[in-house]
Amino acid sequence: MNNAIRTWLGVATLFLMLASLFMVFEYVPTEIDEGIVQRIFYFHVPLAWVAFVAFGLVAIAGVFYLWLGDQLWDDLGYASAEIGMVFCTLMLISGSLWAKPIWGTWWTWDSRLTTTFILWLLYGGYLMLRASAGDSPQVARFAAVVGIVAALDVPVIIASVRLWRTIHPAVLVTKQGGHGLEDPRMIATLLVSLTAFSALFAWLLMLRFSQVRTHSRLQALAERLAIAHAAAGDR
Amino acid sequence: MSAFAAVLRKDLRLELRSGESTIALLALSLLVMVVLVFALDASRVRGVDTASGALWVAMVFSGMLGAGRALLAERDNDCMRGLLLSPLDPATLYAAKLAATLIFMSVAEVGAVVLMVLFFNLEFNTALLRVAPILMLGALGFAAVATLLSAITGRTRAGDMLLPILAVPMFVPALIAGVKASGAALSGAPFAAMSDWLKIMIAFDVLFVSAGYLLFEHVVGQD
Amino acid sequence: MEHFGFLFAAYSIIFAAIFLYVIFIWRRQVALDAQLRALETKLAALSNAPALQQDALQSESHSKT
Repeated sequence: MNNAIRTWLGVATLFLMLASLFMVFEYVPTEIDEGIVQRIFYFHVPLAWVAFVAFGLVAIAGVFYLWLGDQLWDDLGYASAEIGMVFCTLMLISGSLWAKPIWGTWWTWDSRLTTTFILWLLYGGYLMLRASAGDSPQVARFAAVVGIVAALDVPVIIASVRLWRTIHPAVLVTKQGGHGLEDPRMIATLLVSLTAFSALFAWLLMLRFSQVRTHSRLQALAERLAIAHAAAGDR
Repeated sequence: MSAFAAVLRKDLRLELRSGESTIALLALSLLVMVVLVFALDASRVRGVDTASGALWVAMVFSGMLGAGRALLAERDNDCMRGLLLSPLDPATLYAAKLAATLIFMSVAEVGAVVLMVLFFNLEFNTALLRVAPILMLGALGFAAVATLLSAITGRTRAGDMLLPILAVPMFVPALIAGVKASGAALSGAPFAAMSDWLKIMIAFDVLFVSAGYLLFEHVVGQD
Repeated sequence: MEHFGFLFAAYSIIFAAIFLYVIFIWRRQVALDAQLRALETKLAALSNAPALQQDALQSESHSKT
């Protein structure tokens, strides 16, 4: 049952991706001010959307893990953080590739960029913690606590970075964020690619989540077997 | 409350006898300041903004290495297990360790401020008194983050390496606000210029002290 | 077609990274399958020793509760 859903979701993701690619490169009109580079936007925004959803899910999974203590939640948080990190990295790269021709620089300490970068560092730390704690039994609780604390930090980061950039005026006063999607075809393209990326996220999450689940169950089974083995060997 | 006082008193007595944490924090602050003076070209005129920046760099870098000490000390001889077996609430333990770290960091901060005035050619005046509460707010936030996280990182393979990787990005909002507010305070700006920054720092402190207080039991539990 | 290189780079990096991530998942799956097979072999060896099997079953039902 689960497998069937996953397969269909995979097929749907593929078609949605192809559709959004078609729309981005063939259907949508070129933006007048920014030219062809503006088309990065149609994948950049869905990447950002998915990354934030994934990081939010990490915190929710953390709360549920500490509350219910079910390994399932820890596995969900792990899978979600990993995928979120992939998408967040891609968001930073694609944004940088847009900024170079438009703003004339690869990177600027604009409020949104800074916030995203700090989030990237935070969840990079989260994944390093998971890697470093290995298979120790406390890792789930550690990860849950860090995931929750990181999410609590996000509003404070946003507030501080915004204030930081407002008082210190931005070096580049272009129409940042002012992507006036004046053409309805632009909105349609964005909506289709948002759907495509949401489907991709759901598909990857199901894939990775069930894999992490299998891994932790296998681990538990192997441990139990070792215990049984030792008990039998003692006699 | 008495448990809190007992743990805190124990930590302070230990510190008074060895001086380990405070001296390490002070020495690190001194070294960071010296490195910054060299790195920022001694011949150039340096403003109060650079000085306040140096102060915070010193706090973050010395804090990263020194702030987890109060908790790490319990790891030897598995004292942590003893503390957890005693009728002591983990949240109270967190509060006591946080208080101890805050006291060590405050002593180091006093040293760092003196060094800042000397190295960056400032004056000993009342502006320094206006920086003090900002530094205290920053130290409280950093100690809250570091105490919670060092309980985690101390039990992983990477150990102390991991603490800065986790703590620094989390501390970023308080760091931005602290640098800005203390720069304003040193240059004698009116209170209104830094009230927004202080609000952010207070929000950060409230958030992280309560998060640490509530979540600490989940990171120290044995299983 | 000004700056087409940036557009091309952005889309190819996005798809290359997603593709690599899927490959990474697939390779983990291969490793997991190997682990599963090793466990099955171990279990098969255990079931040849009846006393041991009893223990294994007991501990399994025990930790389920």
